[in-house]
Amino acid sequence: MTDCKRRRLFAHAAFCAAAAAALTAWAPAAHGAGPELLLRPGESPLVTLRLVFRAGAASDPAGKAGAAALTAAMLSAGGSRKMSYDDIVDAFFPMAAGVSAQVDKEMTVFSGTTHVENLDAYYEILRQMLLEPGWREDDFDRLKDKTLNDLRVRLRANNEEELGKEYLYLKIYEDHPYGRQNSGAARSLEAMTLEDVKTFYAANYRRGNLTIGLAGGYPADFPQRARKDFEALADGAPEETALPEPESPDKLRVHIVEKDTRSTLISLGFPLAVNRGHPDWPALKLMQSYFGQHRSSKSRLYQRIREIRGMNYGDYAYIEYFPRGMFLTKPEPNLARRQQIFQIWIRPVVPENGLFALKTALYELDKLVREGIPEKDFAATAEFLGKYVNLLTQTQSDALGYALDAAHYGLPDFNGWIKRQIAGLTRDGVNRAVAKHLRTTDLDVVIVTKDAQAMRRMLQAGARAEPLYASPPPDDILAEDKIIGGYKLDIGSIAIVPVETIFEQ
Amino acid sequence: MKALETVGPACAAVLLAASCATGPAEAPPIFPYAHEVSEFENGLRLVAVDSGYPNIVSLYIVVNVGSRNEVEPGRSGFAHLFEHMMFRGTEKTPPEAWQAVMEAAGASTNAYTSDDRTVYHATFSKEDLERILDIEADRFQNLKYGEEAFKTETRAVLSEYNKNFANPFRKLDEGMRAAVFKTHTYRHTTMGFIEDVENMPAMYDYGLQFFDRYYRPEYTTIIVAGDVDFEAARAMVEKHWGQWERGGYRADIPVEPPPAAAQRVELEFQAPTLPLLAVSFLGPAYDDEEIDSAVMDVISFHSFDENSALYKKLVIEEQKVDAVMPNYPDHRDPYPFSVIARIKDEADIDYVERQILETFERLKDAPVPADELEAVKSHLRYRFALDMDGTEAIARTLAHYLSLRPTPETVNKRYGLYASVTPGDIRTAARKYFVESARTVSVLTHRTDKKGNGDD
Repeated sequence: MTDCKRRRLFAHAAFCAAAAAALTAWAPAAHGAGPELLLRPGESPLVTLRLVFRAGAASDPAGKAGAAALTAAMLSAGGSRKMSYDDIVDAFFPMAAGVSAQVDKEMTVFSGTTHVENLDAYYEILRQMLLEPGWREDDFDRLKDKTLNDLRVRLRANNEEELGKEYLYLKIYEDHPYGRQNSGAARSLEAMTLEDVKTFYAANYRRGNLTIGLAGGYPADFPQRARKDFEALADGAPEETALPEPESPDKLRVHIVEKDTRSTLISLGFPLAVNRGHPDWPALKLMQSYFGQHRSSKSRLYQRIREIRGMNYGDYAYIEYFPRGMFLTKPEPNLARRQQIFQIWIRPVVPENGLFALKTALYELDKLVREGIPEKDFAATAEFLGKYVNLLTQTQSDALGYALDAAHYGLPDFNGWIKRQIAGLTRDGVNRAVAKHLRTTDLDVVIVTKDAQAMRRMLQAGARAEPLYASPPPDDILAEDKIIGGYKLDIGSIAIVPVETIFEQ
Repeated sequence: MKALETVGPACAAVLLAASCATGPAEAPPIFPYAHEVSEFENGLRLVAVDSGYPNIVSLYIVVNVGSRNEVEPGRSGFAHLFEHMMFRGTEKTPPEAWQAVMEAAGASTNAYTSDDRTVYHATFSKEDLERILDIEADRFQNLKYGEEAFKTETRAVLSEYNKNFANPFRKLDEGMRAAVFKTHTYRHTTMGFIEDVENMPAMYDYGLQFFDRYYRPEYTTIIVAGDVDFEAARAMVEKHWGQWERGGYRADIPVEPPPAAAQRVELEFQAPTLPLLAVSFLGPAYDDEEIDSAVMDVISFHSFDENSALYKKLVIEEQKVDAVMPNYPDHRDPYPFSVIARIKDEADIDYVERQILETFERLKDAPVPADELEAVKSHLRYRFALDMDGTEAIARTLAHYLSLRPTPETVNKRYGLYASVTPGDIRTAARKYFVESARTVSVLTHRTDKKGNGDD
């Protein structure tokens, strides 16, 4: 399974080697092998369980987008053979415990934390939920409804920021196994049957693609007990989904999502030939922290767009999938993917500043690619990251999640590894990686706005962008505004997308 | 400076069972961490907590000012705007220099504002504590910004309002508050009325006055939690914050008169959404002596949370409702106890409303079974213990309680109240608070008179 060409990964040799090394866990499990254990014993009276199945939405069968999501929902929010979902809720309630599921393209994780006093009772229910699902029709109807409402109402209608970010992924990965939202698509969800979900479970919930992660003060014999129980899953592992290289657009491919909103929101990006197992990942991680550290006022994009110009609430950049960013200050673990994108997220600006904000983001990206990271910023960012990494793994659940991801990518302990990598970076090395992997053209731009026609006209006309300020910034910024205002956008295509069509097919 | 309270660890770790290897015979307190509360001469408080987790320190600076303090017409949203202004630097430490210190510490920093408080927080390696206490003391005492910076920041705040605009729960909250509160400042959300937010650029002078009134030591509590030496922390705070001058301003928060009559609020939303329903009764303020507000919490978990009979009926069995949840956050003054439902079909709104109202009514007569009450108490205890996952979580939880009462002991007192709630207490509270005159029903539906009716 390390044949890069066969899996049609990126043609870049270093990436192939790294991906091969990183993905050893994906080799078909030997007969009778698995599940694997990943243990972080400790003295905490809390016990955290994270059960990671290496299968997800990328494994949705053709025409069955949403099968992975509905299966995980049936296991985590439906009844078991012995217990109805009512019974499960009743049993968990006095423990203040529960099971949550997160479905991504290539990973599905079930997680929960319980006080050690309740571990036996908690685990027995969890075991039943995952190994002896009840497959009740009424659970299925309820969870299908919920998934549909999550897609059409919660995400599409009531969360413009996440909508823009998710739509960007859909466009970058059109005709690709990543090309559907993790919850699926509305039409195929409507047509989904309980049988489809059972079929997905049988094919993808197997001994050979499960790692059971445990952390905290569990009894010494608990890990082997859990492993033995989960040997009841079907033998082997599902075949890995082949991932073609996503096709890059020509120039800027702009998608204007027409929606009744007070503001204009922008997400842009392109496929990145680097995942966490790639040798250039630490360099790009440093770049990302300098250029667009999530929810931090220290980064370049935030400083130029929000701090100095007051245009919005924040502006960030990413090299890994980071859903629910408007609610989180740190990424969730167990969203490991073979393929990632580089992404810029511009939070809502007043419509008058939409074009200017887009140009500023590309102008800054262009500057980054051409000039690299300034020396003083390189040193400061390296110092920041070397310490900040400890905050990512503050909680027991996060520490376990990062350990599972590290094992998945074939890395040693994440914190120690990334600190050593960052300490070994040079500014020139980082800037070389930036120049190699980042670009300002051949990318997708998603703009969510009310007056889509006006935005299209401005883009087509190559219009200058004039910023609108509550209070004019200093002269040097006004001078830069003139340059940014005239920054040429090399438009390849523009499509207007009625919002109600998104996530349907 | 006087040490008000020094408490040793209850046990080596969070324990809930009645037995504790090294502790007293009785059940250990729910907040088991060793801590020390100090009050300085200028009125500033320091709460130092040993979380038991190594290397990391969380600094939470709690200012007892929130949108509750926005008593003057046209000034709603100012506490939140001011939270933004606090990042605009001082002469000694301009924003870039502040940023550089935080960056070198690998710190995760942020701030938030609510009805009752504004909280500034940072989590970082313990060796950087003094440097960060120093620059934080500087901005709390010497914040300085020009009118241009002020105007620029008001636009970031407007953008924040706009980013929440697509969320129908925001509109429901705005509508519910405006109906329930006639005079109290909880009438507006923390973001403020949109017309006030839009007018903020013209309010530079008021901004200066706001800082002068509220950013004072007697309004402020510093929490230092984590891998921390109490004595050293006290000395650092004395050194950097001891000179901060006490103020003298007290906001005259209007007292809400007793509700006069039941109300119904109909709200229209611009984007497609499932209908939202909120049934609210004005409830009591947070208290750790009087039991009423603790009883209301117990009711919310018993009768309206995921294990409740109502939830099972509406969400799991009949599947008419997508989600139902109670909402009764702790507040300094009386605040609505709400039950919010997201309903799948507009035709079921009246039915769901009746089901919720009947649940409230039953609490007035039928006693809550003892085993169900015990399950709620157990849930509350374990929920708290599970939340204490790491230093930052401990500091974050304390910030909430310390804006309500002066010392962490309030947590233990509050959980003591939960443990003592009886079925009789529930009946008494239900009869006192769930009365028709205190009821507000808010309904939000999608406005369908525009193109693209959104009936998908």
